Amino acid sequence: MGADMSGRGVIRRAVAGQRRDVVVGSLLGAAHQTGEALVPVLIGLIVDRAVVRPDGGALALWLVVLAVVYAMLSYGFRFGARAGERAAEQAAHQLRLDVVRRVLAPHGGAEAGRPPGALVNVATEDARRVGALNMALTLGIAAVVGVIAGAVLLLRASVPLGLLVLIGAPVLMALGHYLARPLEHRSQAEQERAAHASGVAADLVAGVRVLKGLRAESAAVARYRSTSQASREANVRAARAAALQTGLMLTLTGAFIALVALVGGRLVLSGSIGLGALVSAVGLALFLPGPIAVLAWVGAELAKARASAARIADVLAAPGETTGGTTEPATPASGELRLHGLGHAGLHGIDLTVRPGEHLGIVVTDTADAATLLHCLARRCDPDRGHVELDGTPVTELAPAALRSALLVAEHDAQLFDGTLLDNVTAAAPAGADPQPAMDAAAVDEVAATLPGGTSGRIGERGSSLSGGQRQRVALARALAADRPVLVIHDPTTAVDAATEARIATGIRRARTGRTTVLVTSSPALLAATDRVVLIDGGTITAEAPHEDLVRDHPVYRTAVLT
Amino acid sequence: MTTTPSATSGIADDSAELLPIATGARTRAALRTLIRPDRGRAILGLGVLVGATAVGLLVQPLLGRIVDIVADGRPADALTLPVVLLLVVAVVQGVTTTLGLTQVARLGETVLARLREQFIERALQLPADRLERAGAGDLTARVTGDVARVAEAVRSALPEMARSVLAIVLTLGAMALLDVRFLLAALLAVPVQALTARWYVTRAVTVYADQRVANGAQQQQLLETIGGAVTVRGHRLEEQHTEKSAARSRRAVELTMRSVHLVLGFYARLHIAEYIGLAAVLVTGFFLVRDGSVSIGTATAAALYFHSLFGPVNAALVLLDDAQSAAAGLARLVGVTDLKESAVRLPHHRTGSTSEAAVTVDAVSHAYGPGRTVLHEVALTLRAGEHVALVGTSGAGKSTLARLVAGVQQPTGGTVSVAEGKTAPSVVLVTQEVHVFTGTLADDLRLARPDATDADLRTALATVHALEWAEALPEGLATVVGEGGHRLDPARAQQLALARLVLADPPVAVLDEATAEAGSAGARTLERSAEAALAGRTALVVAHRLTQAVAADRIVVLEAGRVVESGTHDELRTADGPYAALWHAWSGSRAAPHL
Repeated sequence: MGADMSGRGVIRRAVAGQRRDVVVGSLLGAAHQTGEALVPVLIGLIVDRAVVRPDGGALALWLVVLAVVYAMLSYGFRFGARAGERAAEQAAHQLRLDVVRRVLAPHGGAEAGRPPGALVNVATEDARRVGALNMALTLGIAAVVGVIAGAVLLLRASVPLGLLVLIGAPVLMALGHYLARPLEHRSQAEQERAAHASGVAADLVAGVRVLKGLRAESAAVARYRSTSQASREANVRAARAAALQTGLMLTLTGAFIALVALVGGRLVLSGSIGLGALVSAVGLALFLPGPIAVLAWVGAELAKARASAARIADVLAAPGETTGGTTEPATPASGELRLHGLGHAGLHGIDLTVRPGEHLGIVVTDTADAATLLHCLARRCDPDRGHVELDGTPVTELAPAALRSALLVAEHDAQLFDGTLLDNVTAAAPAGADPQPAMDAAAVDEVAATLPGGTSGRIGERGSSLSGGQRQRVALARALAADRPVLVIHDPTTAVDAATEARIATGIRRARTGRTTVLVTSSPALLAATDRVVLIDGGTITAEAPHEDLVRDHPVYRTAVLT
Repeated sequence: MTTTPSATSGIADDSAELLPIATGARTRAALRTLIRPDRGRAILGLGVLVGATAVGLLVQPLLGRIVDIVADGRPADALTLPVVLLLVVAVVQGVTTTLGLTQVARLGETVLARLREQFIERALQLPADRLERAGAGDLTARVTGDVARVAEAVRSALPEMARSVLAIVLTLGAMALLDVRFLLAALLAVPVQALTARWYVTRAVTVYADQRVANGAQQQQLLETIGGAVTVRGHRLEEQHTEKSAARSRRAVELTMRSVHLVLGFYARLHIAEYIGLAAVLVTGFFLVRDGSVSIGTATAAALYFHSLFGPVNAALVLLDDAQSAAAGLARLVGVTDLKESAVRLPHHRTGSTSEAAVTVDAVSHAYGPGRTVLHEVALTLRAGEHVALVGTSGAGKSTLARLVAGVQQPTGGTVSVAEGKTAPSVVLVTQEVHVFTGTLADDLRLARPDATDADLRTALATVHALEWAEALPEGLATVVGEGGHRLDPARAQQLALARLVLADPPVAVLDEATAEAGSAGARTLERSAEAALAGRTALVVAHRLTQAVAADRIVVLEAGRVVESGTHDELRTADGPYAALWHAWSGSRAAPHL
């Protein structure tokens, strides 16, 4: 990807992508700020022209002018802010999808070191903060225009007063920016701490049933309490820094107003400007802290947005689990799977050929080795030694997504998704395929019978309205319905009762007739339905034969599957 | 043609029974209770802010004084005093505002921490079945979204609201001091503001409710998609999920824009109110100066006062929004913290049985609602130290019985008695649901016994045959595990759960397919771990791998919520009953009879 993956690049794209709305918002916002600047000037004029020497006609005329200015500032604000908000929301939406796309990218890796909760937080909160910069930008530009409009109005009334504001206001702004800098660092630390507390809370809630079973609720509460208190202290420190900044800005603007009043008062007394100009100047000096405060706020928003953009950039630029591989697998795949001297983590020297259409069982005595094997097959990692070949092509040369279109590794902990039972079964199936054979094979009919609404009943987030065994069956049906040339199934029936398991064993056999199918399991019922079984013990293949033979002849195998 | 009206009414009930939401009155009362311990700080903070605002109001009269000095053409030296006073006001206002805001922030953060801690405490105490009915999403949304929303309000809306309201009240007071007629003129804006506020609030309720629902849906979609990324990639569902996420996000954006339109319409109306008030104050000044009752400086100060009200009025009114959204979040949090003690703490099943029985299940029935009875008058006794395996097909009620015995859930009929242990807890349940808590491995284990020494942890791990791999982790027991940390495969995660059981050391243990989730190869290792963990305890083991049943002292077969067989493996295998059939199916010869 050629895009700039730094935090700065993320911000630049977020703004550039919405430049039309940002420009419109800034222009209309500027009209609003100019109107706001004109109001105190008009107050001064009204005092000068209509109140000092009471003149009813002049009062009526100037009140009409004031009404026109109000109309301008009101409409400017309304449509300017609308454009700014739209820019903010659209940019956040785009960033959100960028994060989702990166997480789902075939080479993976974005999840490394980031719990799902934290990643979701990046996709929602951080995207929102970066997007909000667009709104802050329109308000900031409008505020600058407001300051300039105020100065111009003053210059017209009096050059020295105008110059005072023109010089004083930027100095104030610079001070404001300078003061916001420590806040930037605080803000980042604060956000991280708060995110941590929120993460701990979400984690405990996610594990609530485990805690209940263990009667460890109070221990968990105690743990949360200490995290929460640490977060509280961090937030208090950050708030103190922010309060200090607010106080300093108040003092600085107050001193600025005093200075304007002093200089303006002397100018009136020396006869070089009228009383109205002084009132306007004072009014403007009171108005100016508004846009200046907006600028300080924009500075703080920028600080938050930078911290968020850096987190988004980290996710977008996360290294993949695997690199390379652009070849498409042969179509139609014949489904021959070959492992050549495969070695990775605990596995070593694995040579194995799965013939097209064969049903192979693999029993792995060490669960970590089983996981490694599955990861290598699904290209979730590339092996240290040797290689895996699909139809003669090393899988490391295949694009991961293309590989998975030909070879599905149905992992034991595969997740279901909110939606109907049928949606889940057909999620990965070719369009228009009949899901019934897969559902029959995985005994999903029994699941449908207990689910309100049957196959069109919703199964809840992650299939939460189903039991563990029911979820396994639906996941299995989904894998079977996907109808890939090669299917690797990992322990599909561990939470399924024995009678149903036997039914599923024959079901898989039937549904995958003539299709390469690998069952990584130690369930005797499933293994009995395979053509051949390979035993991986101590990280390497130690036996291969049909299930019955191994049960009869191989003590390690017998221990592995029957006890 | 005959009709069966009742047969067509099988509408799917997929509306989860969400956790309660507190009423406004209850929320306010809860808030008062939360603040009470820090009342002193609340009063101090508010007092300092009142002082800061009051000092700030001296600016306009001082400016009016300067206007009067120049209007009267007095010597330039007369300007010195009001200008110096302006400087003093600036410094005092800055200092007091800093102090006041710091106090308010400290108060807010303290109360917020108290609230979220209470929330977690109550949430974790909720009975398991209640949590299941509510769905995990509800609780998670509250613990993340609502807590964040209330926190945001506490951090930004609360201090600003306090300052704005103070500024409004004190400024109006100051105008009345100038001349009460200025106050009356200013109040002309109030009816428009009041109508605007009502217009806004009535619409805001639905708009924001819709927006929250859309945000919740987006959050849930992202959690599912991101949490299930491996599955999504493996099954090539990337496009489906990107589209679903995009649709949910787009919907949330639409609804946010709708609320933006509403807010902007609100502001437009407020501008009208501003104009009316300002014109009225100017016209009043015109008449009062003409009849000589106030000076030009006073009229100027009044106009400047009113002008200075714009900011705080707009801020306060628009904060109604944040306040409302925070109040909604708060009500959802208080809804949980407010749950009656009785709703969260189970009237714990009787402990301390007199007989030798460690566990007595007496005529226990359980229903998950009308017509959904899963257990019928089950009777079961476990002698001290006895290991009983619970066997049956899916849906026979095994897990329910396990949870009732474990006391995680209360039966709808009958009683469960468990002998009391020397140390709490008397019974622990380990299920197939594995969760590795984020933090170090040692921290995870210490959830079971917070005061456990490192040696205790090692002993427990060694008992379940997990010490070897645990010490081989990158940083041993100090390795960060769980989400975002070192990933443990399900078998190891389950060994961890068994180690926690050993640490908790209850006299009675209930295992609900605790070896299932690991996968079959791991299951065998796990069964050895489980056996070691159960040594010396009374145990009820829900088994689907019948090897566990073989090893048990007694097997109880459950079918459709009733005990249908009970005896040792050998007795039942030869009895030609349901157990024998299960055994044949499981042991997996091709000649297995089809059931």
